[in-house]
Amino acid sequence: MIVCGALVVSPTSTVYTPQELAHKRVALDYGNGTAYAGLQMLEGAMPREAVTTCAGATSPAERFAGLMRGDFEATVLQEPWITVAEKAGCRLVSTTFFHGTWVATPDVNVDAYAALLRAITRAVRLINADKRRYVSYFIRDWSGHPAVEVLGPDDFNLGRIQLKEPGPIPEPEARWAWDWMASWGLIAGAFDVTTQINRAVEQEAHELAAGVRAR
Amino acid sequence: MAMTMTIERVMAFMGLDVLVARDEGLFEAEGLDLRIAALPPEEIRSAAEGTPTKPTTNQGKLQARGHAQMFQA
Repeated sequence: MIVCGALVVSPTSTVYTPQELAHKRVALDYGNGTAYAGLQMLEGAMPREAVTTCAGATSPAERFAGLMRGDFEATVLQEPWITVAEKAGCRLVSTTFFHGTWVATPDVNVDAYAALLRAITRAVRLINADKRRYVSYFIRDWSGHPAVEVLGPDDFNLGRIQLKEPGPIPEPEARWAWDWMASWGLIAGAFDVTTQINRAVEQEAHELAAGVRAR
Repeated sequence: MAMTMTIERVMAFMGLDVLVARDEGLFEAEGLDLRIAALPPEEIRSAAEGTPTKPTTNQGKLQARGHAQMFQA
């Protein structure tokens, strides 16, 4: 699954570009992929010393509420809260995409993993054939939240919903991600592909799953 | 006999493919009994309690205690 993250400001903000967030507080849900995506969007627009973040809640609903209260200048959101924010008049000043990555125990069963990959591959094809049909899942996750419950399928920008059939982790990308995190002091030590990616299990599972991709 | 696997809870924004596969019976069709486990609400902590270098994350907690084989990061 490809995750979309957006840097969002309130309707009354004077910020229109990511550069204008320099030295302004941006709430990030530290430790989550959306936070790292937010950090990458910020550092692409300003010197690192100008990046100013504060701890945001894990729940995008709470981060959105904090944004609207003016607790911080911007935050990073994912769907369906990007759509909620847009409907509320908020502006997206930057958008990015990143891979969700499966983390498995060393003893994960190869056949079960391959079955998982085959099923997910089929699901990706179903969704990509008719994304609008499946956006209700984003609403379903937030039952009891009126701002989400009022959304309809046509409210969603399907360009922000991207799915890719699962594949092996490219080592250069894993290495880059590790080195990038280390450069921010978020992770220690040097990247060692042998401890991070079990290539034997990964390769066997993807080979077993390959049949469905050929069909 | 069906294979079993337990994964940590996913949401649509990062696991739409998993949720659709579950609801469309695609795991079952592959002979996989996929179980999705969630942390008890009282164990869920907010990232607001963390710092960049010492984040508070809920991901991987079930895997760490042997209650799930996989989670999505």
